[in-house]
Amino acid sequence: MSDESNAINASSGPERSHVGEVVESSTTELVAEARQLHGAPSFGQFVRVDSEVPIVGIVFNVFTHSIEPNRRPTAYGKTEDELRLEQPQIFELLRTEFQALVIGYLDEMGPVQILPPQPARIHSFVHVCSEDQIRAFTHTDDYMRCILNTVKVPTDELLIAALRQTMRAHGGDRAYLVRMGKELSRLLGDDYDRLSSIVRRADY
Amino acid sequence: MLVPRRKRHGIGRGRSRVQRKAVGGKKGAMLDLFAVKNQIDDMVADECRAQEDFREKLEMAVQAYRGWQADWQTLAEKIARSRTSWLMPGIVEGLDVTPTCPQRPEKISIAATDGSQIFPDRHEISSCFLINIGYILLHYGTGEKPLMSSKPTLYYREEEIFEEWDGRRVFVNRELVGTKRGLMEFSELAALSLAAQEAGHSVLACSDGTLIQWSLEGKPHDFKDYVLGETMRDFDALEKAGLPVCGYISHPGSQDVINALKLGLCPQDTADCDRCPWRPENQLGCSSEEKEALQAQLWNGRVPCSPLDGISDAVLMRQILKPGQRSPVFRSSSKILESYGRHWIHFFYVHVGQEIGRVEVPEWVAQDESMLELVHACICDQAEKGQGYPVALSEAHERAVVRSADRESFYRFLRDTYVKNDMRAHISTKSFKKRHVGI
Repeated sequence: MSDESNAINASSGPERSHVGEVVESSTTELVAEARQLHGAPSFGQFVRVDSEVPIVGIVFNVFTHSIEPNRRPTAYGKTEDELRLEQPQIFELLRTEFQALVIGYLDEMGPVQILPPQPARIHSFVHVCSEDQIRAFTHTDDYMRCILNTVKVPTDELLIAALRQTMRAHGGDRAYLVRMGKELSRLLGDDYDRLSSIVRRADY
Repeated sequence: MLVPRRKRHGIGRGRSRVQRKAVGGKKGAMLDLFAVKNQIDDMVADECRAQEDFREKLEMAVQAYRGWQADWQTLAEKIARSRTSWLMPGIVEGLDVTPTCPQRPEKISIAATDGSQIFPDRHEISSCFLINIGYILLHYGTGEKPLMSSKPTLYYREEEIFEEWDGRRVFVNRELVGTKRGLMEFSELAALSLAAQEAGHSVLACSDGTLIQWSLEGKPHDFKDYVLGETMRDFDALEKAGLPVCGYISHPGSQDVINALKLGLCPQDTADCDRCPWRPENQLGCSSEEKEALQAQLWNGRVPCSPLDGISDAVLMRQILKPGQRSPVFRSSSKILESYGRHWIHFFYVHVGQEIGRVEVPEWVAQDESMLELVHACICDQAEKGQGYPVALSEAHERAVVRSADRESFYRFLRDTYVKNDMRAHISTKSFKKRHVGI
């Protein structure tokens, strides 16, 4: 087992506090409520769900809405700071949620880039993956296939956001980008325009 | 089909079910909206006619109010020496006072509570009842996180669903639950605002609705003593802490000020409604000349004070006050307040922009200029923030409210828990039939 696999399995070590809690879950995706208003992980960020079998996902949608279906936010013409001073209740009535695409899970042997046998359990905590964990999970290129095979999400944009993050986790390693580019070229077949658009924007 | 007006009244109104059946009225298990529509048309037509009279009455009320502004002491003295059959306000501040909205302190915390309930229903599987108190603490000017929550309490023990007052043991009814809820709202409000004050905040406590326990009039003595004892204990604690408290009544229907103006219209120097000389039953010993003289003082054939009947204080104040202004403070004369002591309730009306609200405060707030200003400023500010209704109160309501879907979920949950514990979950036949109506 590589050091990177060890890094991702070290979930019992010191943790960052969770960023969300699962409120809807399926085998392929999950919805989590952010712990803080506007405190969701960013689009394309890798997240890990505390579970018997820890599940790894990529955030593909973040949304903030009213907690009560019959009450809609209205415009006040004030800045957020002014509203916090003079209309403090409104921030208690809003909730930020995020959706994550499930791209794999972790077992004793390390990252597994196939869908987990069971979905994440409701109320499980969601954490942002550390760079070590991202590096371990993206050591192979299978996560790109997961993203490209999904129809519900803005595929190219999500792939670019994920690639940019993995590039950071791999310390801007040019060889890694080239390896991923080659794999992407294979996945996209003859669609050269699409490939070049993704690689160009991922390398920005 | 056009139906003569007289006949339309007959449909569904004033006839027994058997008569309606015999006539062969519209069939259907639901509310007969067709029949109601005709009645609504009649009602609206009557109200249109009444509105014309209303404008005239309102104009008279405004003139009467303005007429007394300079000489309000005379009216106050007449109120003091007269005996009327209506609630008469004590004029403590003069009628010429209409203070504009003061500046709200930059940092202030508003505490508010509201309550809701699931009433006991003996047709359900249990006669238990539930009271849910919503409580809100909003901090202004500090950016602190507000407190917005609710606290449900279930009552199910024998001593909770049966109460004994005046030697009679009664199944707790809607009225008793309502009173209990009111007490809980007020005690939670006192506890919440006192705790916030202890934590270093400057607090105003806002109660939803009146601070006067009107409903206690005519109730058993021990019940009255219990409710007043609890209420006064909270008032005492708030007064001791110097923490202002107010009750806000939206769209008030009270007529205290109008009653004072009605008294002003009475030609008698000292009015005594029981011996009103314009009422025929009080004219038995009068000569025909005296009767004629009295007749001449009638207004449209009715007693001289009747022109202002049907006008509320809020409608009058809408003409007197500009947005942000409040009326002078009046002293309520409700009989129950004799038990309030230092907390005797005073009130004023305030133009909050969308409506005229009635604000009630205990005497020690009414007499403290800075507290009164704080109440005035905060109520206007709260109403502005809440688009016409104090935002803390509306949020407290949102936390407290038990909607019919919640009630159904509650009973479903109760039923499931009974079944899980192998207990008989029995509802009355009536309740069963309401849910499963056969043909």
